[in-house]
Amino acid sequence: MASQDKISVYNLADLKNTSDDAIPNYLNSLRFRQSHRLTDTRLALGYSAFLLAAACFAWDYRFGFEATKPYTAAAVALYTLLNGALTVWLLYVERGTVYVGTSPGGETVRITTGVRKNVPVYEVTVEVTPAKGKGNGKKEVVQVKRAFTEWFDGAGRFVAAPFQGMLAGSFAVVGKADPKRAAAAAGEGKRGEEGPAAAAYTPEMLEMLAKADVSVVGSAAEEVTGSEAAGKKGGKRRKA
Amino acid sequence: MFSSLGNPRQAAAQLMNFGLILSTAFMMWKGLSIVSDSPSPIVVVLSGSMEPAFQRGDLLLLWNRNLFSETNVGEIVVYNVKGKDIPIVHRVVRKFGTGPDAKLLTKGDNNAADDTELYARGQDYLNRKDIVGSVVGYMPFVGYVTIMLSEHPWLKTVMLGIMGLVVVLQRE
Repeated sequence: MASQDKISVYNLADLKNTSDDAIPNYLNSLRFRQSHRLTDTRLALGYSAFLLAAACFAWDYRFGFEATKPYTAAAVALYTLLNGALTVWLLYVERGTVYVGTSPGGETVRITTGVRKNVPVYEVTVEVTPAKGKGNGKKEVVQVKRAFTEWFDGAGRFVAAPFQGMLAGSFAVVGKADPKRAAAAAGEGKRGEEGPAAAAYTPEMLEMLAKADVSVVGSAAEEVTGSEAAGKKGGKRRKA
Repeated sequence: MFSSLGNPRQAAAQLMNFGLILSTAFMMWKGLSIVSDSPSPIVVVLSGSMEPAFQRGDLLLLWNRNLFSETNVGEIVVYNVKGKDIPIVHRVVRKFGTGPDAKLLTKGDNNAADDTELYARGQDYLNRKDIVGSVVGYMPFVGYVTIMLSEHPWLKTVMLGIMGLVVVLQRE
């Protein structure tokens, strides 16, 4: 499950959930103010439906079916409505939203993530609505698709630095709040174009990698994670 | 798995998902009850008294509304007897009178005698209100699961435990 030390790298739901959980952690540490309105509405809908069913069970158990028929009929109708509303809410309002918040600059940020079945690629969509009175008030939507291998090592450990670099480098709102990571990510991108010459490790990243107990051999972070992953996977398969 | 406890909203959402599975199953059952006007719209055959029509373990779908015609001779009905909590599935073989006061006599197809022995002490016939519903459909053998569950109650605990564990661990 999410935010465990290690997850199974073959479990797409685990990969997604762990990454999803890391987003609020990171953004809240950058002084984003998280809004829980979507989650709270969902919980309110779900729990009121559940409580209604519990009440229906209680009166049915206590007074029997015949005596409470009209109430049960009303409860069934209301439950159907509440559950329908919950489904609509999940499908059309939340649509896989994992984070809503306000950036330090006042923009409203909404982050939606998703994965396609059996494709280990994380699809992150960030919607930015500028602060009132600033800009033209138009929503700006950016989508990025990145492989999970960039921030999970072969053993299934989540490595925060590349993940945060991915967010900071791809999305301007995050980058503004965390210029160091954004710069590092940008440098890495440039180096990627020029060839794997200069190492682009920041001190934190090295510390993170050391903590994560990953041996650093190559020069580029992605290459290391990649080869490490391949090596470990190979090892496992041989053992099996 | 307990890391989610650190995030109350996430824990609440997981608990809610589990609760909604249970409550949706219950409300579907109640909805079926309301539509068929029967307190127990689906029953499982427990005995062989209606063979060859129904065998032990068959699942019966009941309908308790007299929309077009009254409950008549030949219909297979499920009825409750005062003082006994197990419903019985038998066929109506005689009917005297009409309306809610009609006197009905039932008999199992596979039984030698009619049901007067099975009725409560001093009761010689059934009224319409004793009947839980008429059989309108059946599914062979499916009900054996519930027979197993009621004969081995620990299976229920095991099943509920597995369901809960799956929901809590999977988060989907």
